[in-house]
Amino acid sequence: MTPAPTRSADHLTLALPKGRILEDAIALLSQAGLPLTMPEKSRALRHEFPGVTILELRNQDVPIYVDLGVADAGIVGKDVLIESGRTVYEPVDLKFAGCRLSLIREVGATGEITRVGTKYPRAARAYLHSRGITAETVKLSGNIELACLTGLADAVVDLVQTGGTLKANNLEEVEVLFHSTARLIVNRAALKVRAARLRPLIENLRTLTAQ
Amino acid sequence: MPGVSSSAARPSNRPSARAGFIPEGTRDVLPPEWSQREALRARLSACFSAWGYRGVEVPALEFASADHPQDALAFKLIDSGGQVLSLRSEFTTAVGRLVRSRFPQGPFPLRLQYGGRLWLRALNSELGRLREFNQMGVELIGVQTAQSDAELLHLAAAALETAGVQAQLEVGYPGFVDAVLEDAGLNGEARAAVHDAIDRKSGADVDLLAAQHGLSGAVRGTLHALTDLYGGPEVLDAAQALSPGVRAQEAVAHLRRVAALYGGPLLFDLGVSRRYGYYTGLTFRAYSAGLNQPVLGGGRYDLPGGLPGAGFAVGLERLMQALAPVLPPEPEVVLALDLASARAARAQGLHAELAWTDDWGELRAFSAARGIRRWVSDSPSGLTFTELAFTDLNGAEVTL
Repeated sequence: MTPAPTRSADHLTLALPKGRILEDAIALLSQAGLPLTMPEKSRALRHEFPGVTILELRNQDVPIYVDLGVADAGIVGKDVLIESGRTVYEPVDLKFAGCRLSLIREVGATGEITRVGTKYPRAARAYLHSRGITAETVKLSGNIELACLTGLADAVVDLVQTGGTLKANNLEEVEVLFHSTARLIVNRAALKVRAARLRPLIENLRTLTAQ
Repeated sequence: MPGVSSSAARPSNRPSARAGFIPEGTRDVLPPEWSQREALRARLSACFSAWGYRGVEVPALEFASADHPQDALAFKLIDSGGQVLSLRSEFTTAVGRLVRSRFPQGPFPLRLQYGGRLWLRALNSELGRLREFNQMGVELIGVQTAQSDAELLHLAAAALETAGVQAQLEVGYPGFVDAVLEDAGLNGEARAAVHDAIDRKSGADVDLLAAQHGLSGAVRGTLHALTDLYGGPEVLDAAQALSPGVRAQEAVAHLRRVAALYGGPLLFDLGVSRRYGYYTGLTFRAYSAGLNQPVLGGGRYDLPGGLPGAGFAVGLERLMQALAPVLPPEPEVVLALDLASARAARAQGLHAELAWTDDWGELRAFSAARGIRRWVSDSPSGLTFTELAFTDLNGAEVTL
């Protein structure tokens, strides 16, 4: 592994999730004045630009890199941020990658909820607790709807974007836990130590997303 | 079925329990880190002493109490009498207990310093995923003035300078946020939720809460302003203009007095509201440029019983991280062939290990493995150093 190069005091390291959000994030950050371009398709996970390093991460890892200060700032969905439990600064709602986290059941299901399948156990537990439901949560990794359809769980807590998948599988949203969009998150010390670079970035992003 | 058992039934097979392993979140400290850390500890302690802060030691075993601020995070033990004990998880509460029982009459202000280990049940990533870690700190007890707040800022700056850390001090005032929220008519759960959103500088969450609680556009604007209230001294002007309430104005006036008494450069963040129910005045922390984590933190609080206190603590592990690039090398170690030469070498500031045998082959092999480059012996003409040469793997002679 190549060691991280030594950087000037005002160098920025940004943690971005790979995949769909990465393109939107890079487009927005370059509009906000950072000298970024979409990296060529390659196996590189770290992309160097003048004065900025981009770390390409799994979205769940973005809050960890920012909280522990390896990255100064990052972009991640509010859903992932809530699930991480990390107390980073979140100064800008970037208003893209919108979705909602919902409690989902088979259409017409009314039985007691005793087991809930989810990729978001922390958010699911908090929700169940707030509703006074004592149900077991089961952490799953994908195709959460199947848990409902196969009887693994009586309900699932999962992301809904358009609702198309739900309809196709005879499922319905019972309640929305919260709405999520992409957020700029910032390490608590970095915001102060690197204010000269981060504050203008925050201002520009706010202006760009104000409409 | 013979030969089949679940892994849970055989706890001794857990890797964590195997010989040679230590629990996650604990660590062995090896040379040269140990001596560097002890040197740092000595320098900090001497700095605190020079400011009149006398050292105290408090037990690592405490009575468990639900009132303890870290109770949920503390290791619990049960003694032979069935009494539940905690491993020390924080110093301020322990020093507060000591002051009440040992210095009830002061004299105040009472200046104390402490140091030692703390333990937490869960891994704390803020501390580099440690469950056992070292802290040093000071408490200034029994007075509550701008001068005493400024003294702690001065002492924090002096301690960081002594340690050789380049750092910036930042001051906050959680009660200011609380006062502004009170003036805005927020109470109970709503106020707690808004505190949390402001501490995370989350404008989006402020908007969400504003909608949930039906807050006016003006209040919403004030809350957004709180999330942006950080930077240099200009922050105090913005804070003063933000809320006309008596509590808020007094907080800003107090910070102005402290900043003037301190005199040096300060950062401000008047949106800091973590533990707003615990801190009764200013809070502060120090940021080191190379490290995206604070290296020092403190604030003003009330001891149980109403005595005012203020203080700060430094995490030695974190400070060592910040210092790693600038730590001085250790003194050279030499091998002394006799006691007199060892004494003479030590008098020159060298570290001397004593030869334990007359077998020079064994001494040479040890010196090579240990990285000792010189032997020292006593001769009629004085101290004689012998540079050692070793043969490398290819048989060539090298001098280390």
